[in-house]
Amino acid sequence: MALFPLPRFAGEGWGGGSAMTGFVIRRLLAAVPTLIAVLTLVFIIVRIVPGDPALVILGDQATPEAIAALRTRLGLDRSLWAQYFSFITSALMGDFGVSMVTGRSITAEVAAVLPHTLDLTIASMIFGVVVGVPVGIWAALNRNGVVDVAARVLSLLGLSFPVFVSGIFLLLAFSLHWRWFPVIGGADLADYGDRLHKLVLPTVALGLIMAAYITRVTRSAMLASLGEDYIRTARAKGVPWRRVVWVHGLRNASIPIVTVVGLYVGILLGNSVLTEIVFNRPGLGKIIVGALNQRDYTMLQGLMVIYCFLIVVVNLITDLLYGVIDPRVKAE
Amino acid sequence: MRGIRAALLGSALAVASAIGLNGAAFAQGQTLRVGMAAQDVGRLDPHFAVSTIDRVVVAWMFNGLVRFKPGSINPAEIEPDLAERWESSADGKTWTFHLRRGVQFHGGFGELTAEDVVFSLRKAGTAATSAFAADYRAIESIEAVDSHTVRIVLRENIPSMLGILTNYSGGYIVSKRAVEQRGDTFVRNPVGTGPFALDRVTPNQSAELVAHAQYFRGAPQIGRISYRFIPSDASRDLAFQNRELDLNYGRADQTWVNRTRAVPNTVVDVFEPGELAIINLNTQQPPFNDIRIRQAMAHAVNRAELVRFRGQDVSREGQSLVPRGYLGFSADNGLLPADPARARALLAEAGHPNGITIRAIHTQLPEMLNMMQVVQQQLRRAGITLDLQVVEHATFHQQIRQDLSPMVYYSAARFPVADIYLTQFFHGRSRVRTPTAVTNFSHCDQADSQIDAARVSTDPEEQKRLWAEAQRILVQNVCGVPLIETLLVFARRDNLDYGYELKGSMSLGPLITEASRLR
Repeated sequence: MALFPLPRFAGEGWGGGSAMTGFVIRRLLAAVPTLIAVLTLVFIIVRIVPGDPALVILGDQATPEAIAALRTRLGLDRSLWAQYFSFITSALMGDFGVSMVTGRSITAEVAAVLPHTLDLTIASMIFGVVVGVPVGIWAALNRNGVVDVAARVLSLLGLSFPVFVSGIFLLLAFSLHWRWFPVIGGADLADYGDRLHKLVLPTVALGLIMAAYITRVTRSAMLASLGEDYIRTARAKGVPWRRVVWVHGLRNASIPIVTVVGLYVGILLGNSVLTEIVFNRPGLGKIIVGALNQRDYTMLQGLMVIYCFLIVVVNLITDLLYGVIDPRVKAE
Repeated sequence: MRGIRAALLGSALAVASAIGLNGAAFAQGQTLRVGMAAQDVGRLDPHFAVSTIDRVVVAWMFNGLVRFKPGSINPAEIEPDLAERWESSADGKTWTFHLRRGVQFHGGFGELTAEDVVFSLRKAGTAATSAFAADYRAIESIEAVDSHTVRIVLRENIPSMLGILTNYSGGYIVSKRAVEQRGDTFVRNPVGTGPFALDRVTPNQSAELVAHAQYFRGAPQIGRISYRFIPSDASRDLAFQNRELDLNYGRADQTWVNRTRAVPNTVVDVFEPGELAIINLNTQQPPFNDIRIRQAMAHAVNRAELVRFRGQDVSREGQSLVPRGYLGFSADNGLLPADPARARALLAEAGHPNGITIRAIHTQLPEMLNMMQVVQQQLRRAGITLDLQVVEHATFHQQIRQDLSPMVYYSAARFPVADIYLTQFFHGRSRVRTPTAVTNFSHCDQADSQIDAARVSTDPEEQKRLWAEAQRILVQNVCGVPLIETLLVFARRDNLDYGYELKGSMSLGPLITEASRLR
């Protein structure tokens, strides 16, 4: 018998669907001030950083006259307050404008690459969880044994290898030597086979780091959980060992694992730039770096709004999962 | 335990079956696959195409009234392009161009007429619609005489009238109707008359071009060009080795060249224009307002060592403050030789017997930073300690234009006529922090009269003499210290035939013409 009965999600998990909806709405509304604060900071920071977008766009032979003309055209000659209010009001209405460099709609630019970023983030998360959680449990169950030592060493190696090293090794082995995967990773979004095929190596490169991290967290959480009284009680009552581990042990160890996964997904969304560069994939990270290099203020601002929103959603899902895993969180 | 093993095995099998490990075939058809070191293209309106990635692709889509012979950057080899012939008045100020008939724009935008040419050149000469407006200052008027004749009147003579009308920078001709119809989106939906038309740009991935079947020189033999944006050098090289690219943007580095030449069926092309790197010394600010310290800098630099560092195949010593091969270049200028002992003596004479420390702002771009670090070591031998303040590239460009660095390392190629280089880098009108600023970081103006006189001279020999004199004055004043010239490098599969011999390309990448083919 489980100490924590599994909740029936829609019914009792959040005290009914309306309670959960209310919670979600409250959280989303609470995110609005955060969003405005972040947007304000981004607006200020991109303008404090030296480097003139007009000079970047026009190149090194541009005359001051041409630079001034472009600054006027881009609206950069307006007062900072005027630029700020126009940016905030447009952003709150969902209009992110156009890129200063390419003239393309920011929404269109982001929409073109967001599926690639989500593919990679979700696949890496799944890889990390599917590999990290079982290995972590296995290591905890064999504390100080060969498996445990191997898991600890390998996870340390996984954490120590940056993507630009592991990625190149993967490309050398699986693209150049065995020719299983292409080096150029940008897939045709409409071709799901191609999309999946080109997702494998970047997922492994990025997922290995996540798996290493999750392995270590799972191992220590499981060790703590398996030492608790309720585990001893369950075993004394004759609950099968597999059930004790997977239901009683893992369930109670899940909160730190979910926290780590939630945090990591947030990081992956914006920080997968190295993976995108090594594997030649489009993605949000690459756009952010490009926009920063080119001082594309509007693009940076638009990306930050979208990035913030994604982080809010990930955090919300993490919080909802807490309630599913541990009813005490829900009660609070 | 068995459950865990089963879960691990299950995940591995799921991944393996999902990907279909069937040995992907990377078929090679009549699509030319090009790898470029960039995140994305920027502005494909040719009059705003300032970065290498934009310049290379724009050259495949547009024509000028005249063009450099494919594979050459020699102004003496400029030949007809959209104009089939031209004539000029005796004083060289009135030029009449007769356009080819039947030249079609991409995408059904109709036949090229004089109206398109007038519109394009006026656009190229307007600061709000072109990054190259300054090049067209001398033009007084442009008018359509009839549907296929254009007349251009100059205020004053310029060294190369045909030069500003070539397939380079502002010289490209756009479709008037397309610009008016597409407005601001023209920068990503350009319409030209060149052998290839833009099909689509996939952000962060590629620009896809298709052959322009109605191209006036005949339909291109290559059907499509896939112009891939691959910023990582290592990944781009791997993709080339894996035969996923036919043409690859290379690195001006001897090790890279040697390694790439060893790849089977590969040709490495090294071509002009060379980018001349100069250390510009601000003659108006301490410590370089003392010519002895500038001379010490000049004696401290050893160009032969710099060439050995960068590579004999991809670089050569700078010999003047104008790149070699430019019309008007002169090596007879009294350039100071490497002599660290003389440099120390000059420093002592200038009141720095124990050496001097100089703080300089420099970019973090690896190729420029590496070179500057070698120079830093050379200066150290002469008693000059260089304190490098390394900043991000856009910051570097802004700060050097605010005179925040007493010495500025700058590497550039320009239209191959001495006037452009001398005017932009060493004419008083181009001094930074002035309303007419370009890139004169040294604040030198000692050769202004020679540069101005040469520009309007109609006697080619006199012009060359004046440019040589200007170089001698600037070198003797040590307005800058030339370092090395770095050439362009691309690697290609040996089945790619450009259709011409590649010795140079003003678009900074190989021209892909109607004659180019994949054998």
